Amino acid sequence: MTERLDGPQAPGGGDAAGEPPGPRETPPAGVTAPVAAAASATAAVPAEGAAPPRLGPSPRLAVMFLLPAVLLLAAWMIYPLVYSLVRSLFDASGSRFVGLGNYGSIFTDSSTLTTIRNNVIWVVVAPVVVTALGLIFAVLTERIRWATAFKLVLFMPMAVSLLAAGVIFRLVYEQDPDKGVANAIITTVHDTFSSSTGYPGARPRENDQAPATVQGGAVVAKQQAQPGRPVLIPLVGLSQDVVKDAAPAKAAPADGIGGTVWLDVVRGGGGTLNQVDPQEKGLAGITVEAVSGSTVKATTETADDGTFRFSGLPAGSYVIRLPQSNFTAPFNGVTWLGPALITPAIIGAYIWVWAGFAMVLIAAGLSAIPRDALEAARIDGATEWQVFRRITVPLLAPVLLVVFVTMVINVLKVFDLVFIIAPGSVQPQANVIALEMWRVSFGGGGNQGLGSALSIFLLLLVVPFMIFNIRRFRRDES
Amino acid sequence: MTTTVAEQPRHAMAIQRGVAGRIMDRLGGGVVQVFLVLVAVFWLVPTLGLLIVSLRSETANNSTGWWTLLTKPAEITFKNYSNLLASGFGQSFWNTVLITVPATLLVIGIAAMAAYAFAWIEFPGRDAVFLVVIALLVVPVQIALIPIAKLYGFLGIFGSILGVVLFHVAFGLPFAIFLLRNFFVGIPRELLEAARMDGAPEWRIFATVVFPLAKPAIASLGIFQFLWVWNDLLVALVFADTDNQPMTKALQSQMRQFGTNVDILAPGAFLSLIIPLVLFFAFQRYFVQGLLAGSVK
Amino acid sequence: MRKLPIAVALLGVAAAACGTSSGGGTQAGSSSAPAAGGAKPLAGVKIEVAAKWTGDEQANFEKVLKAFEAKTGASVTYASTGEDTGAYLGPRIEGGNPPDVAILPQPGLVQQYADQGALKPLSSQVQAQIDQNYTPYWKELGSAKGQVYGVLVKAAHKSLIWYRQSAFDDAGAQPATTWDDLVSKTAQTLSDSGTTPFALCAASGWTLTDLFENIYLSSAGPDNYDKLSKHEIPWTDASVTTALQKMAQVVGKKEFILGGPSGALQTDFPTCVTQVYGQKKAAMVIEADFVAASVPQSGAKVGEEAKIMPFPKVGDTAPVILGGDVAVVMKDSKGAQALLEYLASKEGGEVWAKQPGYLSPNRNVSPDNYPDDLTKQLAQTIISAGESVRYDMSDLAPSAFGGTDGKGEWKDLQDFLRTPTDVKGAQQKLEADAAKAFEK
Repeated sequence: MTERLDGPQAPGGGDAAGEPPGPRETPPAGVTAPVAAAASATAAVPAEGAAPPRLGPSPRLAVMFLLPAVLLLAAWMIYPLVYSLVRSLFDASGSRFVGLGNYGSIFTDSSTLTTIRNNVIWVVVAPVVVTALGLIFAVLTERIRWATAFKLVLFMPMAVSLLAAGVIFRLVYEQDPDKGVANAIITTVHDTFSSSTGYPGARPRENDQAPATVQGGAVVAKQQAQPGRPVLIPLVGLSQDVVKDAAPAKAAPADGIGGTVWLDVVRGGGGTLNQVDPQEKGLAGITVEAVSGSTVKATTETADDGTFRFSGLPAGSYVIRLPQSNFTAPFNGVTWLGPALITPAIIGAYIWVWAGFAMVLIAAGLSAIPRDALEAARIDGATEWQVFRRITVPLLAPVLLVVFVTMVINVLKVFDLVFIIAPGSVQPQANVIALEMWRVSFGGGGNQGLGSALSIFLLLLVVPFMIFNIRRFRRDES
Repeated sequence: MTTTVAEQPRHAMAIQRGVAGRIMDRLGGGVVQVFLVLVAVFWLVPTLGLLIVSLRSETANNSTGWWTLLTKPAEITFKNYSNLLASGFGQSFWNTVLITVPATLLVIGIAAMAAYAFAWIEFPGRDAVFLVVIALLVVPVQIALIPIAKLYGFLGIFGSILGVVLFHVAFGLPFAIFLLRNFFVGIPRELLEAARMDGAPEWRIFATVVFPLAKPAIASLGIFQFLWVWNDLLVALVFADTDNQPMTKALQSQMRQFGTNVDILAPGAFLSLIIPLVLFFAFQRYFVQGLLAGSVK
Repeated sequence: MRKLPIAVALLGVAAAACGTSSGGGTQAGSSSAPAAGGAKPLAGVKIEVAAKWTGDEQANFEKVLKAFEAKTGASVTYASTGEDTGAYLGPRIEGGNPPDVAILPQPGLVQQYADQGALKPLSSQVQAQIDQNYTPYWKELGSAKGQVYGVLVKAAHKSLIWYRQSAFDDAGAQPATTWDDLVSKTAQTLSDSGTTPFALCAASGWTLTDLFENIYLSSAGPDNYDKLSKHEIPWTDASVTTALQKMAQVVGKKEFILGGPSGALQTDFPTCVTQVYGQKKAAMVIEADFVAASVPQSGAKVGEEAKIMPFPKVGDTAPVILGGDVAVVMKDSKGAQALLEYLASKEGGEVWAKQPGYLSPNRNVSPDNYPDDLTKQLAQTIISAGESVRYDMSDLAPSAFGGTDGKGEWKDLQDFLRTPTDVKGAQQKLEADAAKAFEK
């Protein structure tokens, strides 16, 4: 990959191959130099590999050098691999052979199927977004002077543990706009365009005696309004604190078409239901509509004492309606951590962590693109977009592929972020294979047969990338 | 980082396109600047939020958002931190250090030896064995949890720091060997030949010629392994018992009551990320270098 | 670590540098200063005890451990297992290194671990304490296959509704004695007055199982309750339908629940307590006596602003459901048995009883130790556990069904909260999960 990163031009690649890769003084810590240094590694291989060693040490010595590593790899990786493979063929207790039964239950159990579905979402979305953002940022930072600072900021989350990142985003995603910054921003933006008005939560009582009822969000009086018969619309569900300073409610005068909208609740209980009591407060500023048939004939607003009156309306019978706009609940933000958005929300946190990585890798590749090619295109009159689309991206393709593949492998193993960010009640909806494996093996049920099968399944998912790596290495070496 | 390289073509282009083009360029540049500033803010705010939450009292956090602190800085308190440390969190901080440092040093030592063999000692089956190492690069940790728990129980090291360290060393090795081997093969052959001609034993060539030359690679490997182990949760979750648990596990156990434990979790999470951040800023060039040399893991 | 000197040395460094985590410095001296521990039988003995408590509950329990340390000279480390005790202990049992003592939140786990051979029988001294201080009913809950493995160290009275007096005053609401009154009068009055009646901690699945069990015990009766506990009648039974429909009268009404179902599902215990007494956003919390542990932190006083009413009767009699935490020995050591003996004793129980949010099942713990009258009264109910009193059903079930985050009953009831109209679907899911868990 490093070879590819440097591309056809490989700035400094030529000298790096011959130069001992000692400490380089290239402040500020650049990307180009390390690429070159790393490139020297692979670049040197073909020349070395071909010639037989003249003074080579004995192969026996190799054993000494390799022994600790081989022992560790054998005991901690190879042996567990075999063990898990065998264990996955037995039941929970480990005493009964069940063949591929555990693998069967992976694909029939609804909770493991959810984890597979989530992993698919992760694999489809996260690597693409991370790579795309990395590309955009890498290209754009070429145009600013504070690129180093920008890159450091974006790169910083790589140093933070996923647990800490999880805590960070748990705070970001808090539902309460007074706690979670995401909802604080969203509600602020939302409220500048359409602020909540009136009396959210106010509603008529839900029983047959109540003079008003809810129809399609609006409050409608059951009794039709006629001149001389004022309509009473008692509402409840509002805290006394909301109407602390409101004027006492009054019955509407009996002439004309009118009525009263008021809060039919007395602090500490009491009062007569559906009657305007002296302690009860009027609800001011409510929009009231007089409807006849299906058309609104007139609109008015309640006064401080909750009374309203339609003047100049032809005599007749009208339905009195308080439209829904009076009761719009304040926008409370997005339920990030609910079952619907949990996976996208966690992917958001994941992108926060990894976009910097993609950007730095891609920027390194970008800096290795031959400038003449770009210049030539520009001189030929190509627009920046064309240059980007036709030259930059194709030349970057190998790097983009590496970033993408790295992300796919990483995403398949995602564990901490899901475990930490999803609240207990949403864990089943957010679950992924790597987490389910831990849960199944060590959680309440303790089914290590199924757990082993899940771990083997996870391994199978990364096998294509194992092959990808091996092929790439072979190609680079030959 | 790459501004100097990028600058030239831009000027050339600007000249080519004349005054109008230059204005357009400025304008476009302005939009880009603003966009990137927004992105940077976007990236900084979450961590800033964690820091501020950790510096406010539980009551303050329950009533208003952390951003209100920006208008009344008097709210800052270190009580959460002192409570946290008084509750024994210091021990888990130490455990994290005691796990991370040995796990990093051991990986460097063991991987360097192996990488040297792969790079400079001819032995039968070398390529095949190295391909196995490459294959192991992507093996998920999950595969080893159950078997190694059994193995540790058998060895009597379950729950100990040693068990956690060894697990990290083993799973750090494929990447470490891969990275160092690729670096070692780039070392000029003449240097080794000269040393071998002088009759220096192989271990001395390794120690005096190759190891010093490989400092940059070792630094990048070191920082990688350090961050990986320091930030690990899963391995600790399974293999470390309470006496030996690192910070990540200690914090995780408070997680299920997130709503009421923020006064522990926020300062704890912040303490856990200070050292990685310092290291990261100090050695970021090696970090980048490591990334470039072997990202597919 | 036990076998390898390097690790021991490393640990020594750690201990010297900052003391043991539980002792906070004072206890760290016990091993290095033998003179001080001369008369103490367990000087230098290290004991690890794991339980699910965090925060205030943990602090209260650590006071008991301190008293034990002071008495015996042992040094005790407390480990928090988090909500999912099974997931914490599982790998440690697997790896052959469990804590010395574990406090299991469910008797179901005693059964499970006893089957696995992970528990050590209690010493004769501990059993003597149990016989002296506990009724046979409680003793049995800590037993498996005729062998006594556990001591019920903490009891919980789960048939309570906590309410905020000032909210009731403002609304003119009254505590209810029947479920119908609770729904149509108390809750409705509160809701009309603009106060959300209930705060649910639905992110912690066990709070929902507690609610369901209370309704079920009262509406279906003790016999059905016992049968359902053992899965002798299926969850698709008509009695379950009735109970879920009753439950939906509260959880199915958006304005009755703070934040609606989706808000409740993001609220973990004890955040709902804070919502009622701290933020004053709701009026009632349906949970056990141990809510008291979180009340003072919210600035309210138990018995004044924070009051309780017995869970109202849904059927003929009001339910009384108890829960509890069982201490078991997982490693054969002198220290572990001694700690259990202490926890089972009158002395240990009384130290604990002075902390808020604790009820002792120990009949010899003098009620005078409880911090308030209310707790005293509750303690009485528990000790004199009568015929119709039942133990928390989900805690008796296999933990895969009744006690695992994101699985079984916890998950199914959380799903029910999302779609309270789908009683049938919820029953089918519950039955499917129960069948799977009980079959093993």
